[in-house]
Amino acid sequence: MSRNAVEWKQAPSFPESHYVDTRIYTEEDIFLDEQRKIFNKCWIIACHESEIPNAYDYRTFSHPGGPPLIVIRGEDMKVRTFYNICPHRGNTLLYEPVGNAKRITCIFHAWSFNAVGDCIDISRGKEGYQDRFGCKDAGLREVKTELGFGGFVWVNVDDDSCTLKEYIGEAMGMLEEHLNEPLEVFHYHKAIVNTNYKLWHDTNSEFYHDYMHYFNRITGMIQPGYFDRKYTGYPNGHASVGSMAIKYDAYEGSKARGVGWPGLAPGGWVLIDIFPGMTYNLRTSVLRMDTAIPLGPNKLLIEFRGLGLKSDTPEQRAERIRDHNMIWGPFGRNLHEDLLGVHGQGLAMRERTDSRWVIHGREENMTIHDEGGMRHFYAEWSRRMGRKAYDPYGEQTAAAK
Amino acid sequence: MDTRTAITELIHRSGLIMDKCDFKGYLDLCAPDYQYRITTYSPEIRKDMTWLEHDKAGMKSLFDNLHRHNSDKSPISRHINVCLVDIDEAAGEADVTSTIEVYRTTLDGGETELFAVGKLYDKVALGQDGPALRSRNVRLDTRLLGYGYHIPF
Repeated sequence: MSRNAVEWKQAPSFPESHYVDTRIYTEEDIFLDEQRKIFNKCWIIACHESEIPNAYDYRTFSHPGGPPLIVIRGEDMKVRTFYNICPHRGNTLLYEPVGNAKRITCIFHAWSFNAVGDCIDISRGKEGYQDRFGCKDAGLREVKTELGFGGFVWVNVDDDSCTLKEYIGEAMGMLEEHLNEPLEVFHYHKAIVNTNYKLWHDTNSEFYHDYMHYFNRITGMIQPGYFDRKYTGYPNGHASVGSMAIKYDAYEGSKARGVGWPGLAPGGWVLIDIFPGMTYNLRTSVLRMDTAIPLGPNKLLIEFRGLGLKSDTPEQRAERIRDHNMIWGPFGRNLHEDLLGVHGQGLAMRERTDSRWVIHGREENMTIHDEGGMRHFYAEWSRRMGRKAYDPYGEQTAAAK
Repeated sequence: MDTRTAITELIHRSGLIMDKCDFKGYLDLCAPDYQYRITTYSPEIRKDMTWLEHDKAGMKSLFDNLHRHNSDKSPISRHINVCLVDIDEAAGEADVTSTIEVYRTTLDGGETELFAVGKLYDKVALGQDGPALRSRNVRLDTRLLGYGYHIPF
């Protein structure tokens, strides 16, 4: 039976943990709050160590909390991160996404910095600032940086944050044994979609949407073991999904994967969601890493990386690339469908569409079509935001009083 | 029709026939040993990338499976400009370099946007029945493709 305007707006008849108010996806003030309370407090993946293999190699990164960053490997081979902002007139220091810079020189007035963040030259400094200001006052802003969990470079702009290890806790347990060998990025692309970052992370946190993917229905959903896969939630909002044996040759034109992954059973698939917007997706022969970088409440940049083993032969690498792109490349069978899905959500949920609720109500003993992965995420989101995802402006609570 | 004109027409025809989603017609333009690739270079990771790679049978499977997938139905239009045709009579082949622009037009309202630019590097087999595509490398400059697309360029 269809519903009238009043019925449409009524809260779903589920526990409050089982639905969210769609304004958490659309409101500018909530987005700004998320930048402050979530993205500027959590560990975020900036790049992979294989992207900066040599001393003085750098990579730029647009941090989802706002600051533009430079990740640079020092002469001591340690990776450090700094704001990509000149402390003089606020100019961008490094414009290219990657490069090698023994000396970082601002193009504006030629102030220079080294790879440990020291200011090493202020042009005509003495003449202009005499003894009032010098290089010792003009260092770059350093950001906490750690390498880990597959060689990724993690950053945290909160100087008082916990360690990366404390932040991840036990969440990577299902993958850690598969990430012991050095990895290498072979694929990188970005996508910008008019949607909210949480909707993308939701897609990575529930498999009920396999109904959207013909490839996954044929190779997974109708195969043994699919409905045995389970979600496990961990502190800080992370979650994992257990493995099964994917039957790749069930899809016409596809075949069983010839290249595997250390320690992973043939056809295996393990997925780990890291709060607030990163996903490890190890699917038989390829590790995919998504990093969600919100540009606004309804605008999302996603960085997609595909990784193989650094020790790959050219033949193994070529096979991993083919496996990756068949489903996950920009022309892949699944990625386009996933992105269309969240694009559609963005269209329907943008401001003033009268979209009201999103339901996370499926309970199947935390198996693959249970929506507990999303519920786990929003419990952490609510805790960090000091807002209830089902009642972000406290209206229901006030009305109840 | 001279060989150069026939080759140029083949390249242009391949784009127009794909615009119509006449996939059988497209495969009919291809030699049995046809190889198709979409490639690009990522300055971010300093690596060449191959985003799609199929032989003729693989292309047919891709086309045959399209109706089973959820896809953006906005039509695309391939604007191809053949620039260089280097014919090797002895080898019975020609190397052809073209520029390509791909436009996408929305179904609702018909707004057209530039989707991608790049070059086509084609190898053309010169047989008695006329020229046929032996390989195509769609070399993209554009790497930001939004929510992507299921049909090859």
